[in-house]
Order: sequence, then structure tokens, then C-alpha cells
Amino acid sequence: MKRVAYYKGCLASLSAKELDTSTQALAPKVGLELIELKSVTCCGAGDIHEAEPDYYLHLNARILAYAEAADCDTLLTVCNVCTLNLRQANFMLQGDANLLDRINENLKTVGVPQYSGKVDVRHLLWEIAEGEGYEKLKVAAHKGLKGLKVAPFYGCQILRPSKIMQFEDPDRPWSLERIIEACGGEAIDYPAKIKCCGFPIIQAREETALGELIQPVEQAMEAGADVMVTPCPLCHLSLDAWQQKLEAATGRKFGMPILHLSQLVGVAAGLEESELKFKRHIVDPRPALDKLRV
Amino acid sequence: MQVALKIWRYDSSTGERALREYEFDAPEEATLLDCLDIVKERQDGTLAYRKSCRMMICGSCGMRMNGAAVLACKVRMYEIAQAGEVPVISAMGNLPIVKDLVVDMDSFWQKFKAMKPYLQPGYEEPEDGREYRISQERMNAVHKESLCVNCGCCVSECIAMESDPEFLGPQALAKGMRFVGDPRDAATVERLEEYSGEHGIWECTRCFFCNERCPKGVDPRDAIAKLGAEAIKEGIDRDMGAKHAKWFIRSTETTGWLRETELVPKTQGVVSSVKQMKFAMKLISHNKAGLAFPPHVAADVGEARALHKLVHEQGRLGFEGHVQGERALAKLAHGYKEGRDPYAPGSFPRPYLPEGEA
Ligand code: SF4
Ligand code: SF4
Ligand code: SF4
Ligand code: SF4
Ligand code: FES
Repeated sequence: MKRVAYYKGCLASLSAKELDTSTQALAPKVGLELIELKSVTCCGAGDIHEAEPDYYLHLNARILAYAEAADCDTLLTVCNVCTLNLRQANFMLQGDANLLDRINENLKTVGVPQYSGKVDVRHLLWEIAEGEGYEKLKVAAHKGLKGLKVAPFYGCQILRPSKIMQFEDPDRPWSLERIIEACGGEAIDYPAKIKCCGFPIIQAREETALGELIQPVEQAMEAGADVMVTPCPLCHLSLDAWQQKLEAATGRKFGMPILHLSQLVGVAAGLEESELKFKRHIVDPRPALDKLRV
Repeated sequence: MQVALKIWRYDSSTGERALREYEFDAPEEATLLDCLDIVKERQDGTLAYRKSCRMMICGSCGMRMNGAAVLACKVRMYEIAQAGEVPVISAMGNLPIVKDLVVDMDSFWQKFKAMKPYLQPGYEEPEDGREYRISQERMNAVHKESLCVNCGCCVSECIAMESDPEFLGPQALAKGMRFVGDPRDAATVERLEEYSGEHGIWECTRCFFCNERCPKGVDPRDAIAKLGAEAIKEGIDRDMGAKHAKWFIRSTETTGWLRETELVPKTQGVVSSVKQMKFAMKLISHNKAGLAFPPHVAADVGEARALHKLVHEQGRLGFEGHVQGERALAKLAHGYKEGRDPYAPGSFPRPYLPEGEA
């Protein structure tokens, strides 16, 4: 078992609890021991990063410090935006000793443990797309997703900026496809899988955001997908909950079920409904998944 | 070396579109631009594309290779040809095509001009015979933004612009930051007001395509974040995007986690959030809206509050907060490693190649 500090982020703590329960249930099956961090806050998303960057850096340094204090080398994330925020803050601190000193001084003042810079921030996606995690996944996913056509949706901030993500080619990613196939599903290809769901501006600029959201949903549908899967709970919220607004705005019916990565793998690994919690979704994925039972 | 290219040909006067393949011999050091020159010279004189400097400085040769915007004179073809790849070359996105690889840059230049890309007078003049001196530290704030060559590669891929062509976009906003960050410019607040409009700072969807594509390291998305921070610092926060951001800050100080239920009224105001009621009820019925009571409070959230206070006392607000991290992040740009020889073989950035062929 690999011990990792588990950073849920806001969504998995609140509106996307199904992401948390499925991740917790899946983790031991793919060789991860999750050490839950109690004292951490929201990473601030793109919002605090943009508006108050110095505060953003302190908030994220604090999360990294608590991961180190829990004696973990890896901080596991389940959200694209958390991943970008934490990795970026981490590189800022690792790459500039003066900056790290200043932040540590401030952390000390308010009673937060010190951060040395040695924690690695990794998304669940990367843990199970290669290495040990991938080997375990292949065994765990024995129930399979046979015949299920799955459209991978990466979302922006797990791919770009690639100099911060450092995992795969941002224009030709392969990790989700590899996982879908390891679970016995069929990965559907479509151009918008690397584009945006519009979430960051979905409240402030709804029309523009819906114009972005329609691309992946429409293309996945036209490519014949039964479900879509995403590693980001914000993308999930946008794709699942705002889909009805898209339907209202276009007068079209999409009805595309959206799964969190941990749920998709969870189905293949035989997790219970109490762990998958599909009834929390706006578009119910169960009818599409029913075809796996026959 | 043998090179093969597929080029999307287009003629706006007839509307004809065709994907043509070309094969030819080129020197090993050839760039994509050199290859286009060879095609034009030896195979098809009607091929249209822009070029001038051939050294990544004039910004003329922006186009797409396999769907990604590049400067043709920056892309070396050797490894691509060795891998037997046949890349598809097409015109940039988000701008109308005139012919083949030439796009109409009119809307690009209009947005550029709208930023007033020149110093606004009013700064304190130095004494006679002296130059105006700016510290290196102050110049660092706009160092990256000053590198822009107006090529349009960022605009080509901007997702928000695909959805709303009126969005000012990455190039114009990065240019705006270049002047907002310049201590000699006397119109900082007016600029921030202007850039905070309907199609400005807060319409960016943070897709990071602009950062990914910019061939000069401008990182326009980061420039937009600098503008956002500076606008908030100056109290220019009427926009829903700015309110949204401020609510996050408030949340981390009080419960530690985002108070999602209140996010819509705090962002959009009570009147328009009532219009969202039906939608919200549906989310609530699926437990998607979080719970208003009791708010979920993180342990030791007082620490976050204390940090926020401390940060404000130390006053590194506005773009300064972004600039402080740039030195460290710059090390990532070219695969910097402590102690590595930057001139050793293999240390220059390479084009992406299919798995196993790199
Ligand atoms: S990115 Fe979003 S989900 Fe993740 S911690 Fe930040 S606000 Fe929460
Ligand atoms: S697709 Fe949207 S919500 Fe998802 S990571 Fe990108 S910007 Fe964020
Ligand atoms: S990050 Fe913003 S400006 Fe840059 S390409 Fe995306 S939407 Fe456009
Ligand atoms: S910001 Fe970069 S990509 Fe955009 S126009 Fe300037 S140099 Fe080109
Ligand atoms: S020809 Fe000038 S930038 Fe390529």
C-alpha cells in the first residue's frame, strides 16, 4: 500500500460527496492508503489565485505543510483545479528559496507546521494510469465495462499548462483511454475531449460558458458515447448539472450521463451503490450502466 | 531528409477547400517555414502563407500544425520527419481565412488598438537631461508581457473567444497588462476599469490554451490573472467574476471550504439569483447544492483567517503577488534542472512526438 495524504477539495467535501465515497472505496483496491487531512481548507480555485495571489500561495503552502506533517511524500488530489493550484504553488516554493523562507515564516506565525518542499502533488488519474496503480487496477476491474462506450473528458487543468502538469502530452493525452480500456470499456474519441467545460465563468458569463460546454457534450453524443467520464468534479458539475440549461438554451435533448473517474473504475471494480451514489447525479447514469448487467 | 506535409488549401473567393499532400527533400535543419518555402518554390507557387523574419520575432508565420498553433519558423522538422509523421498544416483558428494559411488579422488589431498600447502621459518627468529610470524589480512585473510578437497563436486557440468572438482575448489583455504594470503609465485605474468590462478580464475561462501555445513565453493567462488581482486591489470589483472571486476569499476565512449555496446570490446579486431558483431547486433535490446549515467548517480555520490578515498587512497585493512566483516557474519552461548544463545536447525543447518515438 502506498500512503498518500488525501486532499478532497471543496467539491468532494460538499456537493460531490459521491466523488469522495467512491474514491475512498476504490483506493485500497488500487493500492492507495488515504490519510485524510483534517485541518486543510479550500485551495481557492482559480478565483483566489487570480484575485489575491499571495493569499493563494499561503493557503496552498498550508495544505502542503499539513501533508508533510502527516508524513506523506504524495498529496493525492481528485480535482483538476486543486491539482493545478497545488502543483503550481509547490513549484513556486521549491524553485525559490527566499520565497519559501518568507512563507514558512508566516506559517510559523499563525501556528502551521513548516514546509520543506518535498511533497509531490498527484491526481488519482495519474496514480492509476501507470505503474503499480495501473497493475492493481487491471486486477481490481474484474467486473469490467464490457460493451460500454465511454467518452473521456479531461478538462483543461489536468493537461495545461503542461510545464506544471508534467504528465502527458496535452494535445494527445492517453491516460483516461488507458484506464477505460483496462476496465474493459471502449474509449470514444472526439476533438473536444481536451477542451473546456466553461465552469470558471458559468455564473459570471453563462452564455459564453454554455457555448464552451456544448462542444464536448454534443461531440460525445454524436460519437455514440453511452457515458462520459471526467477526473474533475468542476467539469462534472458543469457537464452534469448545467446540461439541463444547455438543453433549455438549444431546445435539444442530450441526456448524457457523466461519471467521476472513481465511479467509472468503481463500477468495473464492483463497488456498491452506497459508495457510487448515482442518485446524486442530475442525469441518472444507471439506465446506461444497466446494459453492463445483461 | 524526406518530408511529407498535408496542407489545408482554401480560397475564400470560391469557397473551395482541399487537403493536399506534398512530399519533398529538405535539409535536416529545415523548419516548417523552410518546408513551405520549398513547396512554394518547387511544387506549387499558389500556396499562400505569411512570413518575414524567419527567426521568431516578427510574428507573421502563425499557423496550425496538427491542430495546434505554432510559429512555422520555430518548428524544426527533423524529428517529425524521422518519425515518419505527416503533419497536417492549417490556418489559425478564431480568425477568418483569406487564403490557405493566411488569416484576416483585422479583429486582432482592433482589439490590440482598443487596449491603447502606448504610454498614457502624466508621469513625473525626470529632470532635464536625465532618463526615467525604472528598477529591474519593477520591469520584472511586465517582463513576460513585453515578449509578445503579436503572432496570434494564443488567440487562435482561445476557448472563450470561440464562444464569444467579442472577448478581448489573450493577446490584447496581455498587452493591457504590459501597460498596467509599467510605472510610467499614468492611466492604470482607467485601464483597469476598461479591461473589466463585459468582454474583458472576467470572461476568460482559464483554459490555459494561450499559455500552452504562446511561442514566446508570454503566458497571457497569467497576465490576465495579474490584471484581475490589480483590479481587485484597486477596488474595481463590480463584475460578477470579481464578486465570485471575493466570495471564495470570504469562504476560506469563515468555514475554510467554499460556501457553495451562497455563491450564486453573492456573485449574481439577489434579483438574478431568484431567476436561477428553479435550477437551484433541482440541484438541491439531488444534494448538489451543498447544505446551507450547518456550514461545513474545516478544523483550524482560524489559521487561514490569520494568514489572510498577515498577507494584507504585508501588502503584496495586486499583480505583485503573481510576479513573486514567476522566477521559480520560469525554471519549468525549458525543463530546467538544478546543476544541468543548459547547452548540453538534448536540452532544447522538442516538438511532441507520438509515444515511444520521442
Ligand atoms: S479547486 Fe475547487 S474543489 Fe478543489 S479545493 Fe479548490 S474550490 Fe475546492
Ligand atoms: S474543463 Fe473547465 S472546470 Fe474543468 S478543469 Fe477546465 S476549466 Fe476547470
Ligand atoms: S485562458 Fe482565457 S484567454 Fe487564455 S485561451 Fe483560455 S479563455 Fe482564452
Ligand atoms: S501572447 Fe504569445 S501567442 Fe499571443 S500574440 Fe503574443 S507572442 Fe503570440
Ligand atoms: S517568420 Fe517571423 S516569426 Fe516566423
